[in-house]
Amino acid sequence: MDPKVPLRDVPRVAWSRAGILALILLVLPLGGWEAYWRGQQFRPSTRNSDGLWAMARRWVDRAAPEQTVLVGSSRVLFDIDLDAWEEETGLLPLQLALEGTNPRPVLSDLAADPDFTGLAVVGVTPMLFVMPEAGYRAAAIDRYTTESPSQWLGQRISMPLERVFAFYNFDTALFTVLHRQTWWPERPGLPFQPRVVRKLSDMDRRREADMWVRLEDDPEYAELAKSIWRDFLDYPPPAPSEAEARAQFEAMLDEIKRDVEAIRARGGDVAFVRLPSAGYFREDEAAAFPRERVWEPIVAAAGAVSVHFEDYPELMDVRLPEWSHVSARDKGRFTRDLVRILRDNFRARGTLRPELEP
Amino acid sequence: MLFNSLTFFAFFVVVLTLHAMPLPWRVKKINLLVASYIFYAAWNPPFVLLLWASTLVDWFVARAIYRAEQQSRRRALLLVSLLVNLGILGYFKYGGFLLDNWSALMAAVGVDWTAPAWNIVLPVGISFYTFQTMAYSLDVYLGRSRPADSFLDFALFVTFFPQLVAGPIVRPTHLVPQFAEPVRANRSQLLWGLALMTLGLFEKIVIADGALAPAAEAVYEATGSLAFIDAWLGTLAFAGQIFCDFAGYSTVAIGVALCLGFSLPDNFRYPYAAIGFSDFWRRWHISLSTWLRDYLYIPLGGNRKGNGRTYVNLMLTMLLGGLWHGAAWTFVVWGGLHGVYLAVERWVRERFSGARIGGTTWFRILMALLTYVLVNITWVYFRAPDFATAWRLTRSMIGLTTGGAVVLSTDYVTRVVVVTIGMLVVHWTMRKRRLEDVVSRIPWWLVGLVWGAMLFAILITQGAGDAFIYFQF
Repeated sequence: MDPKVPLRDVPRVAWSRAGILALILLVLPLGGWEAYWRGQQFRPSTRNSDGLWAMARRWVDRAAPEQTVLVGSSRVLFDIDLDAWEEETGLLPLQLALEGTNPRPVLSDLAADPDFTGLAVVGVTPMLFVMPEAGYRAAAIDRYTTESPSQWLGQRISMPLERVFAFYNFDTALFTVLHRQTWWPERPGLPFQPRVVRKLSDMDRRREADMWVRLEDDPEYAELAKSIWRDFLDYPPPAPSEAEARAQFEAMLDEIKRDVEAIRARGGDVAFVRLPSAGYFREDEAAAFPRERVWEPIVAAAGAVSVHFEDYPELMDVRLPEWSHVSARDKGRFTRDLVRILRDNFRARGTLRPELEP
Repeated sequence: MLFNSLTFFAFFVVVLTLHAMPLPWRVKKINLLVASYIFYAAWNPPFVLLLWASTLVDWFVARAIYRAEQQSRRRALLLVSLLVNLGILGYFKYGGFLLDNWSALMAAVGVDWTAPAWNIVLPVGISFYTFQTMAYSLDVYLGRSRPADSFLDFALFVTFFPQLVAGPIVRPTHLVPQFAEPVRANRSQLLWGLALMTLGLFEKIVIADGALAPAAEAVYEATGSLAFIDAWLGTLAFAGQIFCDFAGYSTVAIGVALCLGFSLPDNFRYPYAAIGFSDFWRRWHISLSTWLRDYLYIPLGGNRKGNGRTYVNLMLTMLLGGLWHGAAWTFVVWGGLHGVYLAVERWVRERFSGARIGGTTWFRILMALLTYVLVNITWVYFRAPDFATAWRLTRSMIGLTTGGAVVLSTDYVTRVVVVTIGMLVVHWTMRKRRLEDVVSRIPWWLVGLVWGAMLFAILITQGAGDAFIYFQF
């Protein structure tokens, strides 16, 4: 009834010796763990975290009026070389693309931001772009609006560590590694579930993402990546009814039109780009999302400058080791070509943007 | 600020360093108070105002109650404390729930009334610190203790960061006297405190978030009916997850306080080895169950007003205890089920108190397993987002559905089975033991080995910085 001060006794143990042994037993296996992952061609790399995205989104808030912002899914993230873009235009673009994620919520966020008056380059990966929801990285977009001071600081403490330890990476987390092992027997009755996408890139603090060197150099790993894409392409999520899909598509076109007009009304602009795919991925996209039924209505609704890779041989002349993303070795040249094409297209329309001037 | 975050690691190093410096005790307490406000504000700065409001009201009210001679004045003053604390809690936590239910009630009687949108952010840990400050005024009102002599000590009692947002819910008599004299952890306390922090973080990061949460999520986010095995495994996963999450938080809190030289009470004593439900509540969230006992069950009359009234008091206490956890009827059902279990147990104990079978080991193991199974049924209503999901899960778990979906991979099944068996063995083995006694009996190198292994596991699991489940309460 009347609780007194609780007494906490300390176990009778040689605590200093136990503590030193614990430290040794932490450091030695951790060194081995780090060495193992470096042996697997992992290098210290900035984690593509929600906090990093929120940081990049805040850079947009503080950016000059003429600022290029890259919006899209993994193709915009991996295929565009920020340094090459800067060399071409004198301005470093800000990278807001999110892998596996519909870029429309990010475009809508920029459209609703009265301070954004720059150029948004929006990548269209059809299967993601037409989704009614944000998808895989929706939490990153929420993080920008809800980030607590603690999360803000945690991101800044984490980044120096990310540049030191190769094992400090989402792909090397213990249970992620365990879950990806192939030794688990299949459970009878369990419906097919696409495998989780493996490591595809290394990132720096600007969110410049280069294709992972192992994906470029190890054909077996590239085959694994392709087989995982097949999982996704062959077993898509249940489709809505035709009427629902039509209604969603019409709503999407209205939304794009509204967002593009809002940005233009402030003096900004939007360009849409369809970046390359190859092999089975491209065949599947062409069948499931024909250009004339998806891409063309989108750019028509937006009334925006657009670039489709199929119209430009130089954009098709790239290596795509796993069908969906441009090799790090080609992305510099690819980006310079893309910038020149965008500039020409804006110029042809008589609305050359200052962000694209050489 | 989450214990399982890099921010907390940096914060704790600074706090510990300041606390170890040769500064006057009053300055050290001010440091701890400021640190506690920073700890809370790091989540959402404006809500520090709530802490201040709660602190100021109970400081002045408790002193006025102590000085007042007329019972009516004392009662009125207590009412002020209850209204402010429960008002804050009600507004932020139950406002939307009350409006929704009022709308439903109006609709049921044919009145077309739509509740306004209630987009209020729930301040983290609000249920914990409001109960803690209310206990202070109630203790003074009931004559159990006198007001604190120092405002600084009282403010630190309300705000002390290790247990501020998820307990253990401490009483004034637990903590305020500890602030009176200078304390500083010796080397053994510091290292044992760090070891406890490691154990708590291991429970949270490795077991709760890493091993079990994905299986619980897969089952509770499934939209159709589930196979019997999957429904059970998902619920067993949640049982382990919530224990390791919450007991992990309490263990870190106790460890953090000990590193600073303070003692916090135990909050868990191996609850999945409980034999019966009164035993379970002596082992699960002890600081809440004793709070409810002392400030609700006993004031309602406890077991002093006859058998029928005892059952009513028991049910009321558990129903309100359920509602304390969350503003949803599913939590009320969770509390109600525990109330029914406790009532049935009481009735059985009264009726069969002389039965000899009660003493055998096998019977006790059987009863412990039965308790565990029945507790798992209640977890369904705690975890499910709505009654439709809860009922779907319950039907699957009692075998009322056929052809339910299989949703857990072999990997997830293995994790749940291994962790659940391991956890039950540990709880049963530790049932009558204290961790301190067990650790005292093992050699230092084994302590170091287990400690190092837990640290290694924490670092390679990495963790996603998921919030503790009880933060939402």
